[in-house]
Amino acid sequence: MDADPLKQYLKREGATLVGIGDVTEALTSEIMHLNRGVAIAVNRSLNRKTVEILSMLQGLAVGWLSARGYRTLSIPPDSDRRKDKLITKLYKLFCHKTAATCSGLGWVGKNGLVINRQYGSKLSWATVLTNAPLVADPPIRESECGDCDLCVRHCPSGAVKGHLWSVREPRKKIVAYEKCTALKDKRQSLENKPNCGFCVTVCPYSRRASREAGRK
Amino acid sequence: MADEARKKEILEKLRNGVIQYDEDACREGANEAVAEGLDANEAIFDGLVSGMEEVGRLFEAQEYFVPEILMCADALYAGLDILKPHCKQMDLGVKGSVVIGTVEGDVHDIGKNLVKMMFDVAGFHVYDLGRDVPLDKFVDEQLKTDSELVCLSAMMTTSMVGMPKVIEKIKAKNPNCMIMIGGAPTSKDLADKWGADGYAEDASNALKEAIKMVAFLKKLRDEKAAKK
Repeated sequence: MDADPLKQYLKREGATLVGIGDVTEALTSEIMHLNRGVAIAVNRSLNRKTVEILSMLQGLAVGWLSARGYRTLSIPPDSDRRKDKLITKLYKLFCHKTAATCSGLGWVGKNGLVINRQYGSKLSWATVLTNAPLVADPPIRESECGDCDLCVRHCPSGAVKGHLWSVREPRKKIVAYEKCTALKDKRQSLENKPNCGFCVTVCPYSRRASREAGRK
Repeated sequence: MADEARKKEILEKLRNGVIQYDEDACREGANEAVAEGLDANEAIFDGLVSGMEEVGRLFEAQEYFVPEILMCADALYAGLDILKPHCKQMDLGVKGSVVIGTVEGDVHDIGKNLVKMMFDVAGFHVYDLGRDVPLDKFVDEQLKTDSELVCLSAMMTTSMVGMPKVIEKIKAKNPNCMIMIGGAPTSKDLADKWGADGYAEDASNALKEAIKMVAFLKKLRDEKAAKK
């Protein structure tokens, strides 16, 4: 099934990137039948309503697929998850990074975030899982961070260890999240602003994206 | 009181809202039921629960999968939250409280949550201990709340082995308490072997079993009281 009409549709409505991933390998039995992941990314630096736009785009993707008779499961953006619902339990069975890498939109950087060649880590992600037999994009299976270790050196909490991600080692711990969380908590209490964001801003891929945006 | 046609329309809206996992429709139907003086119990059982029964059938027929079931359950709760405060004493003949949880070592709680929902619907008071619950916590909670019923859930054979220990401890302290087990690896044979009073392979069965058990318990107590 040709995925281009869906991709073009979502891009017209505001998506920065749309990719289709074959996510079969990452699925647990509850969602085994939904083996295509529609990865939707929105450039955070565009405006402040990223989460709203992502939710809207997810709704459109679900509508598009349902109208063609397919099943869907929306995995909302991480920052937009209601805790009090039963369906929330399923969200953690699948992470956006899987959809992003499987659809070839990026790799997991040393900073533990999805890095896209064009936009770096400045993207916010949402996923729609579906059983529609959409043609999948070629995946990215290895890190493209190379020797760069800027995020390792600049992380104020020492959480970034400097490991290279690979699809062959899904369990490898790339970032010591407990250190990152501890610093976030501290920042939250001190200045009410938890995220330091160094690992995003220092990344050459993200910086290039900002430069290009500035030039326009 | 709304006329029959209107009543049917509201019940149908609640039922379809659950089946089509449409939370807004359930909320709307529930509000209409309340505003137009429909009996809340009737709205729950002939509307929401009737829809959930159909969902169970669709699940068996492999029309629906786990994500759909959970979305349907969310829709049911959306309606239930509105209707619950308007419920009169549930007319099921029985009423009780239940301690429920997934045993230690097991974090699978989807089935447990569906069972819990059926208890909520039936007007039970539910003490939900959550998942990965230390075995002694079940015993303590039962004593503390004096619940008639304890439900143990497990999805893995490795965590299931904690069940007989809990059953033994609770029965030693409180022989009148009824215990029900459920989850993929459990069976009627295991329930019998471990001295559990009930076994339920799915949510709707668990509810039926639970009502039967509490009714039986009340009968025993009444008979005792009558003898005195």
